[in-house]
Amino acid sequence: MTNTPNGKAADLPTKISVKDLRFFYASHLALKSINVPLYTNKVTALIGPSGCGKSTLLRVLNRMYDLYPRQRAEGEVLLDGENILDQKQDLNLLRARVGMVFQKPTPFPMSIYDNIAFGIKLYEKLPKSELDGRVENALRGAAIWDEVRDKLSASGLSLSGGQQQRLCIARTVAIHPEVILFDEPCSALDPISTAKVEELIDELKEKYTIAIVTHNMQQAARVSEYTAFMYLGELVEFAPTTQIFTAPENPRTQNYITGRFG
Amino acid sequence: MADIAVENSRVAYKETARRSRVLTSFKIRDGVFRWLTFAAAITVLLILGGVIISLIQGSMPSIRAFGFKFVYTDVWNPVTDEYGALAAIYGTLVTSAIAMIIAVPVGIGIGIFLTELCPEILRRPIGIAIELLAGIPSIIYGIWGLFVFAPFLQAYVQPGLIKFFGPVPILSTLFAGPPYGIGMLTAGFILAIMVLPFIAAVSRDVFQTVPPLLKEAGRGIGCTTWEVVGRVIIPYTRVGLVGGVMLALGRALGETMAVTFVIGNADVIPRSLLSPGTTISAAIANEFTEAVGELYTSALIELSLILFVITFIVLAIARLMLMRLEQKVK
Repeated sequence: MTNTPNGKAADLPTKISVKDLRFFYASHLALKSINVPLYTNKVTALIGPSGCGKSTLLRVLNRMYDLYPRQRAEGEVLLDGENILDQKQDLNLLRARVGMVFQKPTPFPMSIYDNIAFGIKLYEKLPKSELDGRVENALRGAAIWDEVRDKLSASGLSLSGGQQQRLCIARTVAIHPEVILFDEPCSALDPISTAKVEELIDELKEKYTIAIVTHNMQQAARVSEYTAFMYLGELVEFAPTTQIFTAPENPRTQNYITGRFG
Repeated sequence: MADIAVENSRVAYKETARRSRVLTSFKIRDGVFRWLTFAAAITVLLILGGVIISLIQGSMPSIRAFGFKFVYTDVWNPVTDEYGALAAIYGTLVTSAIAMIIAVPVGIGIGIFLTELCPEILRRPIGIAIELLAGIPSIIYGIWGLFVFAPFLQAYVQPGLIKFFGPVPILSTLFAGPPYGIGMLTAGFILAIMVLPFIAAVSRDVFQTVPPLLKEAGRGIGCTTWEVVGRVIIPYTRVGLVGGVMLALGRALGETMAVTFVIGNADVIPRSLLSPGTTISAAIANEFTEAVGELYTSALIELSLILFVITFIVLAIARLMLMRLEQKVK
């Protein structure tokens, strides 16, 4: 549990444990031996300057990098003790278990209802009434139900940016994942929508294990319990968020959070 | 302080004068440019109008002689000066339909393969091959169709089709023998090969416009490639796809040379797809040089008017479909 040489770890149940992970874009080494745990039902923030590898790390956790040739990962990423980097890993199943919300809202070109129902229907054959219930629950879960209940057949693209992002969160929640990865989910949103999404993340952690990449340090401080600071492909420090922001051990962390570089 | 202020205002005044001079010249240039582009745009309308008027004028004798009967009779007899366009219209529509039935799925499939599945080393060679295929002059397709493809179909494919569909009620008529080699089906095949690169190239291009993030989002909820293609990529690009397909259909409807080579040029409505028939453009190409007499020429011009109208209808339907699609999404 405490196998994190470059950071402090608590003695908590671990959902995902990244061990000695190295990641290559062609021959470029983008992640240098990362060790980090994601604790069950906690929010872990990944912070660091652009290009430090935090999004890359996130994309390893559901093997999204697999879509692209010449990207590869070495080491171990254990999801409930199982190495997901294993070639035998079923990617569709993995991505259903480890959902992802992207930088920009990505509603599918279909109705609001279908945006949610589509994902559910991939895995389960449900009667219409039950499907309706699942869709409603997912939309409620993403705190967008009240705004869209009267226009479920409208296109997902007709919503505002903030609503679209919550629709995407609902879509992710709808297929009952175990982990949700947020890749700068608020970078394209206004402050009010950002607040809503943050509130939502706070609620979601009761059911899911969450990792969030963010450039906004206040956001990391607000939503996360643990924070990993990354720099140039290395994990510099991993500790409880309050500690990172009040008493970081590493001078580089100190410099970054006080705005002296990055 | 005061000095500086005066100095400043003088500079500002000079500046304004120079600026307004430059701005005036900008305005003139912009005005000229606008008129030039406007004239270019108007030219399109003028040419289109000119074509329509001359087609209608040229076909007046035939319209006066046969009226609406021209469209629904299939007599084509230069000796008795009786003309009906039905056989040619039928041939045009059927060969184009065959072409689209084959080329649309294959073309979209090529597009999907190239953008989603193809290993990178193959991407460029296949892409270039498609562009080359689009660049081959139609006469080459015609001569290849007549001397290579038709005999091949005659010897190997058509006998099989006849045998296979023989016991099936309706299809047995469509695929009734004997295998001539040349005929409607062969023309359809050739057309399919000819429009395939269009559909493949357009679908590849529009598939490339799908944001990677959207595809990742599809993967992110656990979609397979098939589901991402069917539910995300194709819906996202449907407007472009319909456009590409219609472009291809337009080409198939009007294609002359290759079709003339392989369709057999019989002015009848063949019951079997394996029999020779004719299309509007093939009929015109074949008979224009020997068309003596006002009515014969005029009938051929009316044929082209009909082809024009068909193409126009196809475009109109495409527009309508796109409007429907967009409304449905809203």
